[in-house]
Amino acid sequence: VLDPKLAAIGIGGGPSVGAARGGRRGRDGAAARALASYGQRDAHAISLGAIIPISIAGIATYGIAGEVRWWDALALAAGSIVGAQVGAGILTRIDERLLKVIFGTFLIAVAALLGTKA
Amino acid sequence: VSGPTLYVTLAAFGVLVGVASGLLGVGGGTLAVPFLTLAVGLSQHAAEATSLLVILPTAIAGSLALRRYGVGNLSVALRIGTVGAVGSVLGALLALALTGGTLRIVFAVFIGIVGLRLVRDGLVSEQRSP
Repeated sequence: VLDPKLAAIGIGGGPSVGAARGGRRGRDGAAARALASYGQRDAHAISLGAIIPISIAGIATYGIAGEVRWWDALALAAGSIVGAQVGAGILTRIDERLLKVIFGTFLIAVAALLGTKA
Repeated sequence: VSGPTLYVTLAAFGVLVGVASGLLGVGGGTLAVPFLTLAVGLSQHAAEATSLLVILPTAIAGSLALRRYGVGNLSVALRIGTVGAVGSVLGALLALALTGGTLRIVFAVFIGIVGLRLVRDGLVSEQRSP
């Protein structure tokens, strides 16, 4: 019913939602590719779907602690829903190797920026 | 920036977050958390919690869009997600126990490592291709 490989991906990636919020799907995508032999696009799509139950659990936990800014999130989410449609459409037409380089470079830049502000 | 201007700004930035999410598979937090902390001024904990709420509708919308293009496997995604939800609660509790500065460093190091590995993978496969 539950492939041990898939369970390992979930167990390994779930805590990162709380402890290191942003890398969840990158980590899932890498894990899916490594453990279950999925391509980059399928790994992205799978990790995108997996984040739905995972985020609900995390939101509930943070919500109880009073850390969720509901109206800020609502405004961001309104724009992000539109943007997600555009991004997903481009995904099917972009080179897979280029996608890895763009994604990786982006994450490194964000990490450096945060490191200087910590 | 506050009031209606803040919400308009957040919505506009949300479009960028959504494009990155749908295009790159990036968790919205990689963009939203730095923006909420550095530009809006939220604490690291509040930014991470808020971005987690943002990614939920984005993930639903992105999954539906990708499903239309025949990309991915919903059954596999939900099985991973169900197991990961337990870890998510534990991770959130751990984050709440950390200081904001420590949490920010953890966040930066983690996404930096993921980024380096992806760039390496992309460049290696580029060199191997004919």
